Amino acid sequence: MLFHTWVFFVFFLIVYSVYLVVKRNNRLMNVWLMIASYTFYGWWNPYYLLLLFGTSAIDYLMVLAMERSQKTRKLWLVISLVSNFGFLGYFKYSGFITENLNTFLGTLGSPYLIPDPVYYPNMLMGLMGVPESHFFEAVILPIGISFHTFQSMSYTIDAYRGTIQTERSFIRFLTFVSFFPQLVAGPIERARNLLPQLQSEPKITRLDITDGLALFLVGFFKKVALADYLSMYADKVYQDPAHFQAAGLTLATFAFAWQIYFDFSGYTDMARGIARLMGFHLMLNFNNPYVATGLGDFWARWHISLSTWFKDYVYYPLGGNRHGWLRTYRNMFLTMVISGIWHGANWTFVIWGALHAVGRVLTRELERTYFYREVVPTFVKQLLVFTFVTFTWIFFRAQDLKDGTSALQAAWLIIRRIFTTAWTNPQFPILMLVLVLAVWAYQFLYNAGVKTRAVLEFAPVRVGLVVVMITYLAIVAQPSTKAFIYFQF
Amino acid sequence: MGEREPGQRQLPPELDTEARSNAIRLSGWEWVGVGLFAVLLIVAGPRLWKMFERFDLEPDYRIPKDLSNDYWLYDRYMELAAAHYDTLVVGDSVVWGEYVRRDQTLSHYLNEQAGRDGFANAGLDGTHPAALAGLLEFYGASIKGKKVVLHCNPLWLSSPKADLRVEDANFNHPRLVPQFVPPIPSYPLEREKISQRLGIVVEQRVPFEGWTAHLQQAYYRDPSDLPIDIPTWTLHHPYANPLKPLTRGLPPSDFRLHAEPITWTARGISKQDYPWVDLDGSLQWQSFQRSVEMLRRRGNQVFVLVGPFNEHLLSAKSVPEYQKVKGRIEAWLKQKNLPYLAPPALASDLYADASHPLAAGYARLAQQVLKSLPSGW
Repeated sequence: MLFHTWVFFVFFLIVYSVYLVVKRNNRLMNVWLMIASYTFYGWWNPYYLLLLFGTSAIDYLMVLAMERSQKTRKLWLVISLVSNFGFLGYFKYSGFITENLNTFLGTLGSPYLIPDPVYYPNMLMGLMGVPESHFFEAVILPIGISFHTFQSMSYTIDAYRGTIQTERSFIRFLTFVSFFPQLVAGPIERARNLLPQLQSEPKITRLDITDGLALFLVGFFKKVALADYLSMYADKVYQDPAHFQAAGLTLATFAFAWQIYFDFSGYTDMARGIARLMGFHLMLNFNNPYVATGLGDFWARWHISLSTWFKDYVYYPLGGNRHGWLRTYRNMFLTMVISGIWHGANWTFVIWGALHAVGRVLTRELERTYFYREVVPTFVKQLLVFTFVTFTWIFFRAQDLKDGTSALQAAWLIIRRIFTTAWTNPQFPILMLVLVLAVWAYQFLYNAGVKTRAVLEFAPVRVGLVVVMITYLAIVAQPSTKAFIYFQF
Repeated sequence: MGEREPGQRQLPPELDTEARSNAIRLSGWEWVGVGLFAVLLIVAGPRLWKMFERFDLEPDYRIPKDLSNDYWLYDRYMELAAAHYDTLVVGDSVVWGEYVRRDQTLSHYLNEQAGRDGFANAGLDGTHPAALAGLLEFYGASIKGKKVVLHCNPLWLSSPKADLRVEDANFNHPRLVPQFVPPIPSYPLEREKISQRLGIVVEQRVPFEGWTAHLQQAYYRDPSDLPIDIPTWTLHHPYANPLKPLTRGLPPSDFRLHAEPITWTARGISKQDYPWVDLDGSLQWQSFQRSVEMLRRRGNQVFVLVGPFNEHLLSAKSVPEYQKVKGRIEAWLKQKNLPYLAPPALASDLYADASHPLAAGYARLAQQVLKSLPSGW
C-alpha cells in the first residue's frame, strides 16, 4: 500500500477515525494500530506477516529472558542477533552469496555448485510431503525487511546495554516494530523514542495537524511531481546507457541524484506527516543533504536514522575514534561499506559504500584544515560534495541490462562513456531542470542565513509555495502508482 | 508560523524540526485559506476553462477518434449540442461513423433528409452498452428534456466475450464501466488495481479530474500525434514551453476517414457463427436497459434504433439465434412503451462489417428512421 494512492487514503480514513476513538485506552489503541499496521504490511503479501511477527516475537522474548537471567544476557542477545541477521541474510543476501561462491567454485574447476537458496525450503516441503506444484519458485525479498529488522534489533541491543526499559506488553512491542507510517522505509525508529509514545495517550495538538498536513503535502509533491518525473529521464538513460553520450549520461545521473532524494525523503516526509496527524513524533531523516559542505556533513543529513544506527551499533562498538587515527579510519571505512551492503546485495552497493568510505577518509582531514573551513567558499564546498555524491550514485543506480551486461559492468560503461564520448544535445527537459533548481535554490537560501530564511518563512511565500504545489499536483502531475525506491531495501 | 502551543512538551533536539528542517509550515488559518483555494480550483477551474477554450460546433461535428477517451470533452460537447440541436443520436461507433466521413454518418443523413440541422452525432467510438451507460450517467448530464435516438447494437450480445463475461479480455472504455459492483468478469478486481479503480470512481464524479485529463489528452501529442501527458510531452519537446500547446486551440471535429469504406465481403470476412448470449443475466443488455431508464428519468423522449445487424454475415445456424435476441429486445421495448425501429437487414453490400453500414447504408437507414419517428418529433 503506497501513501500516494487512493487505497491508502481510504485505509487511513478508516484507521484514523477508529484511532481517534480508541486512543484514550492504551491497550485498545495499540491493538488497533497493530491490526492496521499488519493490514498495511500484509497488503503486498500476507505471507510476509509471518516473518514480521516471527522476528518481533523472538526479540520480545529475548529481552524478557535477558531481564530474568542476568548471567545469560549475552546468549539471548546473540540469539536475537543471529535470528535477525539469519532472516535478513537468507532473504536478502543468500542469492548474491550463492552466485558469487558458485562463480568462485567454477573458477577453481569445482564440479560442485551450491544450490539456489530456494532449494532449502522446497526440500523441507518435499520432506513434509507437499507436492512439487506448491514449491516456491524463488526467494522473494520481503518489502522493507532491512528497516523493521534494524528497528527491532536496536531494541534488543539497547535492552542488553540497559539503556531502555523492557517492554512488557507484547502487543505494544508488535506495534512498535510494525508501526505502519514508518514500517517499510523508515525512519528506523529507536525504542527510546517510539515506545514511550506508544505507552501513553498521544495528544493531538493543532500544531500536529498543521505540521502533519504540511509534511504530507511536501512529501507527496516530492514523490509524485518530482521523483516520478525525474525517473522518466533517468530510467530511459540507465536502461540503455550505450545509446547515450556524455551529457545525457551526466544529466541522467544528476536526475537520479535528485530522484532518489525526492523519492526517499518524500516517503519520510509523508511517514512523519501521517504519524504527526496521529500525535506521534518520528525522527528527522533528511535535512537538506545536497547543501552539505563535507561528506561527514552529508551523512549527518542523509538517511539520518540509518546513519545514527550504524554510528551507535557499528562504529562506536568498533571503537569509534578513540584509538588513534588508523583505527578511526578503519572503523569509518568498515561502517560505510557495511552501510553500502545494507542497501542491497550487489557489488555495486559494496562499491558505492566503499567510495563513500574512501571519500570520507580522504576528506576528513581536509575538512579540519583552516583553508577548507575558512578560505574555500561554502558554495564551492557544497558543489564539491554534491558532485562526489552524484558520481557515487552511478553505482547505486546501475542495473543489469537486457543484453546480459551486469550492473557493475553497466556502471563502468556509464563512467567510461561520460569521459570518452562527445557532449552532444542531451534532450534534458527544461521543466525538470527548473523544478530541481528551484528546490535547490530554496534549500540554499534556507541554509544561507537568518535573513534569507526569514524571507522564505514570510507567510505569503509559504502559502504561495503550497498553492503552487497543489496546483501543479492537480493539473500537471500524473497519478502515480510507482513504488518507492527504498522499498527494495 | 512555527508557534509552540501552550502546554506542548519540549521535544528532544533531533525531533524538533523547527530549527533544522526546511519543511513548509502553515498555521491553521493558512490551511483554511489553502483549502478554500483548492475547492475554488476544483470547482471553478473547469468552468473558467470553458470560457477560455473555443469550441466550434460545426454541422456534422463528431468527437475526434483519438479523443474517444476524453470524456470531459464529450460532456462539454453534449452541453453545446443539447443547447443547439433538438435530437441527439446516441450510440457507439455505428452512430459515430466508423467507416465513413463525418458527412456520411447517420446524423448527417437525418439532417439532410429532414431538411434541417436538428440531429447531433452524439456517438462515441467503442462505447459498448456498459460503457455507454457510464458515459450517459457521468458525462451526459446535459442530455435532459431532449429527444434522443438511442442506438442498440446487437453485436454486444453476440458472444460471451462481447458481453464481458470472458476473464481478462481486453475491452474499450474501462473508465466508464462500474468499477466494483456489479463485478465484471472481463475486468477482474485485483488487489493491486483497487487504488486505480478508486481513482476512476473519483474521476467519474469530480469533473476537475476529467478536465485535467482533457487538458493533457487534447493538447499534448507525441511524435505520432497520439495524446500524452504533460511530463511525457516534455521528454519529447525538452526545450519547448510546456504551456504553449494550450494556446493551440481545441482539435477540430473529426474529418478523416479512419477505415477503408469497402464492403464486408471485399474485406474478406467470412460467415460467422456467433454464440449469442442469453439476455437474462447479460451485463450489456442490463446496461442498455439502464441507459434507457436513465434517459427517460431525465425527461428525454427516447426512440430506440435496433441494429440493423448484418444478418448476411451470419451462418445459417446463427440467424435464428439472432432473431430470438432481436425478438427479446423488441418485446422489452414494447413492454416499456418505447417507440423503436428494428428494421430488417440492409442489403449486403451496404455493410462494412457485422454492424457498421457504409455511407449508402446510413442514407437508407436515415430514411427508415425518419419515417418511424413518432409524430411531433
